[in-house]
Amino acid sequence: MALVNLTGIQPTQYTELASDTSPAEGEVVLVPFDRLAEESEAFFQTVGRVGVLVGTETTFSALEPFANKISFVAIDFPAFGDGRGFSLAVRLRKDYGFKGEIRAVGNIIPDQAQFLMRAGFDSVEATEERKTAFETALKRFPSYYQTDAIGLGQRSVAHVRHSAKNDDNTDAADTAKEGQRKAS
Amino acid sequence: MAKKPAGPQMFIANRLDDGRAVFLTANGEWTKVAADAAVGQTDEEVEALAVLAHGAEDANLVVSVTAIAADTEGNNLAPAHMKFAMQAKGPSVRLDLGYQVSPNWEQ
Amino acid sequence: MYAYDTYDHAIVNARVEEFRDQVERRMKGELTEEEFRPLRLMNGLYLQLHAYMLRVAIPYGTLSSNQMRRLAHIARRYDKGYAHFTTRQNVQYNWPKLSETPDILQELADVEMHAIQTSGNCIRNTTTDQFAGAAADEVLDPRPYAELIRQWSTFHPEFSFLPRKFKIAITGADEDRAAVKWHDIGLVVKQSDTGEIGFEVLAGGGMGRTPVIGKVIRDFLPVSDLLSYLEAMLRVYNEQGRRDNKYKARIKILVDAMGADEYARQVEAEWAKIKDQPLDVPEEEVARIKAFFTPPPLPVLDNDVPTVNAFADKNFLFKAWVSNNTGAHKVPGHVHVTISLKPHGGIPGDATDAQMDLVADLADKYSLSEVRVSHEQNLILPHVAKKDLPALWEALDAAGLGSANAGLLTDIIACPGLDYCSLANARSIPLAQKLTERFDDVKRLMDIGPLKIKISGCINSCGHHHAGHIGILGVDRKGEENYQLLLGGSGAEDASKAAILGPGFDEGGIIDAIEKVVAVYLGEREDGEEFLPAYRRLGADVFKEAVYGAR
Repeated sequence: MALVNLTGIQPTQYTELASDTSPAEGEVVLVPFDRLAEESEAFFQTVGRVGVLVGTETTFSALEPFANKISFVAIDFPAFGDGRGFSLAVRLRKDYGFKGEIRAVGNIIPDQAQFLMRAGFDSVEATEERKTAFETALKRFPSYYQTDAIGLGQRSVAHVRHSAKNDDNTDAADTAKEGQRKAS
Repeated sequence: MAKKPAGPQMFIANRLDDGRAVFLTANGEWTKVAADAAVGQTDEEVEALAVLAHGAEDANLVVSVTAIAADTEGNNLAPAHMKFAMQAKGPSVRLDLGYQVSPNWEQ
Repeated sequence: MYAYDTYDHAIVNARVEEFRDQVERRMKGELTEEEFRPLRLMNGLYLQLHAYMLRVAIPYGTLSSNQMRRLAHIARRYDKGYAHFTTRQNVQYNWPKLSETPDILQELADVEMHAIQTSGNCIRNTTTDQFAGAAADEVLDPRPYAELIRQWSTFHPEFSFLPRKFKIAITGADEDRAAVKWHDIGLVVKQSDTGEIGFEVLAGGGMGRTPVIGKVIRDFLPVSDLLSYLEAMLRVYNEQGRRDNKYKARIKILVDAMGADEYARQVEAEWAKIKDQPLDVPEEEVARIKAFFTPPPLPVLDNDVPTVNAFADKNFLFKAWVSNNTGAHKVPGHVHVTISLKPHGGIPGDATDAQMDLVADLADKYSLSEVRVSHEQNLILPHVAKKDLPALWEALDAAGLGSANAGLLTDIIACPGLDYCSLANARSIPLAQKLTERFDDVKRLMDIGPLKIKISGCINSCGHHHAGHIGILGVDRKGEENYQLLLGGSGAEDASKAAILGPGFDEGGIIDAIEKVVAVYLGEREDGEEFLPAYRRLGADVFKEAVYGAR
C-alpha cells in the first residue's frame, strides 16, 4: 500500500493493533473505534499516541467524546459512494476543530482526491499503481466554487472574485495559506 | 444481474466503445444480428457461453452482459422478452434507426 | 443571461479534461466498469438499450441562440440528427460514442455548457420557471439564485456522494410552473414586508415509487443565508439518509421517517453552527450575478395590434396558437411564446437539428437571442413583440413547430420509455403518439381546456405521472405492456398526488379509457370549470363507473 498525501502534512506512522494484542509502552497505534470505546482508559495510559479507525456509519456525536484524546483518525469507506465519511471529516474539523491527521482508507477511487482534501482529509491509503492517478486528480481543478469550513483556507471563487479588487492583501494571504493546514 | 431465466438462453451486452447492443455467437464473437446468436439449451451450455461472455467483459470489449431467454419458436431466433427484442431491433418509434433498418446499419 | 468568467471557464474545461482522462483509462482497462459507472454518470453519460445516452444540463432552462445552435451541431455531428428535451430542463442525445463524449463535452464547454452532475447521487441541475424574467405574474426573477446554487453545488466537497440523487427547483411567481413541491428541495422567492428578498423553503418532495409532496420547513430564509442553509439541509440528509436500500434513500423518506418538524429542527440547529462561516457568497457576488439578469430593454408597445388580429381572423390555427401558446409579458406589447414539441403523432420533446437551428435563428430575430426549455418538454421564446407573431408562427409552422396545443390535452409529457431506456417496463412514446392522433382537433382540445397528461414507462416517474391531471404508468405484466390510469394529480402550486383509478389496460384500452374520462368531465363540468377542479369536486367514483362500468 502507498500513501497519498493530500495536504502536505507529515503522515503518521502507526501500528494497526491486532484485536488480541495490547500496545507496547509508547507505541503509536491505530485502534478500531469499538475497542477504543470499551477500553479507552487503558489505551491512553500506556501508549504514546492513539488513532481511531472508524467506519462511515460512525456518527460525529459518538466520536466526539474521544476527540481530545486521539491524535489521528482513519475513516474506512466500505464503498466509495458512501459519502457519510465526507461529512464525518467535515464535522471533525468544523465542529470540533480537530487538528490531527484524517486518513481515508478502504474503497476510495483516485477521482475523489480533491473532494477528500476539501472535506478535511490529509491522506489516502491507496495501491502503489494508483498513486499517480490520485496525485493527478488532486491537482486537476484550478479553483473551487465552495469555501471550505474546515480550516484549509481555500475560499470560493465567489470570494476570490471580489477580494482582489477590494483587498489585495487578503487574496495573497489566502493563496499562501492554500493547501497548508497547520497540523499542530 | 437479473436472475437466470429458464429455458434456452442467449447473451446480450453493449459494446464498450459505442454502447451498441450485441449478441454472443458460438465462437465468442459479438454480433448485431440476434438471429446469429448462440443459444444455450442446457445448464452446461449456458455456463460455457457465460464464460465466453464474461471473458469479453473482463477484456473491456463489452459491458452489461446479461443472460436472456431466447425465443427459438419462430423462423428467426430472437430475444423472448420485449425489452431485449427492442435492443435487437431499435426504437419502435424510429424505424429509420437501429438494426431494424439493416444488420449493416451504420456501416 | 449569465456569462462565464475565467474561473467558470477554467473549471468546466478542467472537467472536460478530467473526463477525457477517465474515458481513456476506461478504454485501456485501468478503470473497471463498476468504477467508471459513477464517474460517467456524474458527467451525464448513461448506458441505455441501444447505446450510450448523454444528458446535457440546460441550467435553469436558459439557452442563448448560439448555445442552441451548438446543440443542433452536436446532434448532427455526433448523433443521429435529433435530441430530446426532458422534464428536468436537460437535453439528451441517444447515440453518442463513449470515445467521442469528451469531444462533445468540449464543444459544450466552448459555449458555456456542460453535463456536470446531470446524473449520479449528487445535486442535479437546478430547475425553474421557463418564463422567468418574462412572465407578467412574476414576483421576482429566480434565475440569479439558481445560478448561485449551480455554482455552489458544482463539485461540492461534501455532497457529491449522497445517498441518492438530489433535485432542487426554484420559482419566483405565484403560479408554480417549476413543480417545486415535487422536488427534494423547493424554493419560492419571496419579498418580506420590509422589502427583503428571501425564500420559502420546502423539503422532502419527490416522485418515484413513493410520491411525496414537499413540506414547508421555513417560511422565510433571507437570500444572504441561502447557501449556508442549503449546506445544513444537505448535511443532515447526507448523514442520515438511508443507504441500505436505494428505493428508500431519497430525502423524502428521511423527512417522512423523522417528521418534517424534526428535520427542520435539526437543519436549524446545524445552520446555527455554520451560518456565520464564509459559506455564503459576498453581497457583491449576488449583485454581480443579478446584473446578468436585468430586464431586457424592450420598448413598451401597444397590446392591441390590428394586423395580428386581422391575421387571426383569417387563420383559425394561428388564432388558436396565439390563444394557447403565448402568455402575458412584463412589458406591454410583448408575449412569451411556447414552441410546442408535441406535434400530433410526433415524439414528445424531440427536435431535429434543423428545427433547433431554426429556433436559434428565430430567437435572434424575435426574442433577443434567448431560448428557454420547459419541464413540459417545450421550447420558449421569452421576449417576442406581438406584432411579430404572424411571421414567427408561419416560420415555425412550416417546420412542424406550429402546434397550437400548449397546456392542452395533447401537450403530453412522456419519458423515453422502453423505446430507449434500460429501466423502462413499457413504452411511453407510442402511447403519446396515438393519444395525440385520437385527439387531433384543436377546436375539440380547446373545448376540453387545460388538461395535463403525463406518461411514465416505469415507476421511476420521469414522465411525472403522479403529477398528471391524468397520469399513465406503464408496467410489465407477464411480458406484456400494461398501463395504469391515474387521475387528479397536479405539479402546480396546488400540488396533489394522482390516484390509481382501477385495473390497468393495454395500449388501445388506455386510450379508450381516457376518452371516457374526458367525456365524463365534459358532461359534468360547470361553467368554465377546468378538468382538475371538476375531478376534485366530483371525486373518482363517477369516472371509475364510466371507465370500468358499474360493479
